[in-house]
Amino acid sequence: MLSWLFSVATFAGIYALLALGINVIWGMGGMINLGMAGFFALGAYASALATGAGALPIPIGLALAAVLAALAGGLLCRLTLRLRGDYLAIVTLGFSELIRLIAANEIWMTNGSDGISGIPGPWRAELSPFQFNMLSCALVTLAVLIVWAMTERLRRSPWGRALRAIRDDDTAAAVAGKPITRFKVQAFALGAAILGLAGAFYAHYTSYIAPDIFRPLITIYIFLALTAGGTGNSTGAVVGAIAVVAVLEGSRFLEGWVSVLGGVEKAALREIVIGVALIAIMQLRPRGLLPETPPGPFLKRKDT
Amino acid sequence: MTDVKNLFAPTRRTVMLGATALLATPAILRAQSAPITFGTLTPLTGVGGTYGPSMRDAAANVFTAVNEAGGLLGQEIDLVSEDTQTNPEAAVRAVRKLIDVDGVSVVIGTWASSITTAVAPLCWENGVMLFTVSGADSITQLPHMGYIARTQPNSVLQIEVAGDFMLRQESTGMAWIGPQTPFAQSSIDILAGQAEGAGIGMESLIYEADKSTYRSEVDTILRSNPDFIMLGGYAADSTVVLRDIWQAGYEGRIIGPAYAVNPTVLEALPAEVTEGVFTWEGAPDVGSSAYANVQASLGVEEVDPYSAQTYDHATMAVLAAAAAGDASGMAIRDALRTISQGEGDAVSDAIAGLEVLAGGGAVNYSGASGPCDFDEIGDITGTQFLFRQISGGTPSDFERV
Repeated sequence: MLSWLFSVATFAGIYALLALGINVIWGMGGMINLGMAGFFALGAYASALATGAGALPIPIGLALAAVLAALAGGLLCRLTLRLRGDYLAIVTLGFSELIRLIAANEIWMTNGSDGISGIPGPWRAELSPFQFNMLSCALVTLAVLIVWAMTERLRRSPWGRALRAIRDDDTAAAVAGKPITRFKVQAFALGAAILGLAGAFYAHYTSYIAPDIFRPLITIYIFLALTAGGTGNSTGAVVGAIAVVAVLEGSRFLEGWVSVLGGVEKAALREIVIGVALIAIMQLRPRGLLPETPPGPFLKRKDT
Repeated sequence: MTDVKNLFAPTRRTVMLGATALLATPAILRAQSAPITFGTLTPLTGVGGTYGPSMRDAAANVFTAVNEAGGLLGQEIDLVSEDTQTNPEAAVRAVRKLIDVDGVSVVIGTWASSITTAVAPLCWENGVMLFTVSGADSITQLPHMGYIARTQPNSVLQIEVAGDFMLRQESTGMAWIGPQTPFAQSSIDILAGQAEGAGIGMESLIYEADKSTYRSEVDTILRSNPDFIMLGGYAADSTVVLRDIWQAGYEGRIIGPAYAVNPTVLEALPAEVTEGVFTWEGAPDVGSSAYANVQASLGVEEVDPYSAQTYDHATMAVLAAAAAGDASGMAIRDALRTISQGEGDAVSDAIAGLEVLAGGGAVNYSGASGPCDFDEIGDITGTQFLFRQISGGTPSDFERV
């Protein structure tokens, strides 16, 4: 049971990283990025190939994943600067399909739709499955804490303020002398880096990646997490991700409580519960569980 | 008189009571679960949702029957079913719950190859036996230490059998068209080899799945004038490809795997589009008494190959545990081949097998999907194949090999 809780917490942590990444791009920067799964895949493949075929240490794989995703994110943002709203959503969705197709067809590099198995995890061979779950949980939690603190600090900084201004009205921000292009590209690259990092964590934790994993289903879960938690709010992103995983995983136990249901009905009921929970949140808290509030300084000074 | 308001106000006592009850909940759950726990992990929702529910039921019925006949090793078998959602990411989370919370020693019924590959490492690391119906060649080549057994013939064997069939039907030009899958390239290579051996042409094309039309792909493939086309996709894209081939005025023959040209596809397309199309599948052993058992327990006339296989998975898990005297994953792994093949009494259901084993005898299980003999890496050997031809929208048996 405990091992499972650690494993669920690890998945929640990975989801939280994804939600934090999307929060920087969409919540703080106002750019809809439906290509999330693409950056997630890019990070996962980069780290898996670097540490597997490249035999590099895992920390370098993680760094490489973040850097590659950031570069791709920056480039994609630069290319799509003039698109907004629905059009940006379509192009980014196309980007993620592009990455998935490359992963499925460049067999020499990615092993195609068979996927890459046996990706190394930190001390995986030496540890028991239980200890490995515990270690992964600790590492991912640490990563979430660092990324959360970093994005929260950014949100309260002048940079974050300018980004919010651009999100709400980029003409006004431009008139006020803010370099819009630079801000957008930076925000997109930073968010993409976090998504790539999450991908690397996913690859090293589960030890197997394949193009099928990076279908848009996961993007939908993360957008739900962020809207449920509170768009634009880093804490909300983490809370939303934990809530989504809690609902996804907790609903498995419905069978124990509703004993008349067989496996098939339970699977259907799970989907219903997930849908109803999200409708309820949107009805009762349209801005999410933790709505975005104008931030004060990250750490309050004592003398003021 | 107690004030209603006070009744619901939390006092220290009620809070303590509630907290204690909460702490005790896992103990209650533990007390209810039986010591022998097996799991099914089938696609109950998503693309595989057509097959998953009946696959689960086929396995569940075996355990129910065993429990009613007195259980396994003197204990009841507890079955826990999870849903893969036909998605590897969701399946990994589901299998973690099966292994870590329910403590299953056997996982039955993973369907899509990418899902089997995703959950397999978790199974062998935790000493859990995985029975699967996936066909990708790479699965049994994983370092699984014997913890994987599959009852689905691997894709090399499936394609070879179908290629032989096409040549037997005197094809003068073969073609393969399908999406990128783990077996796309190997299918093409096998057919190309067979075509070369027979001195005929062979054209192939890998397309991108989930498109609404494949007209240009179909035109490309028809340019080589094939007279026998093999479909390599799943149901959704095969529907579109079949329609486009028909609209292109192709008059040759077509063959597709039965899971791709399935009843849903036949219903969706007009009868003239599917007229004369061949299908093939690793056939359930329809004459066997195991097959009759599945028919009876599911209450259906025709059992799909996957449900026949999960019936066999469940039965073999029970018999292997009984033969080993231990229901752990490792014991089942070690005993599997002693009950699936060899010189023992031929049995076709769990209850009969348990009786033989209880009397000190040995069993050789022959199942609903075939003889259920495994080679050293966990691949099935000796499966029968059934070829059918569609006429007027319904398939009829054409040949059995």
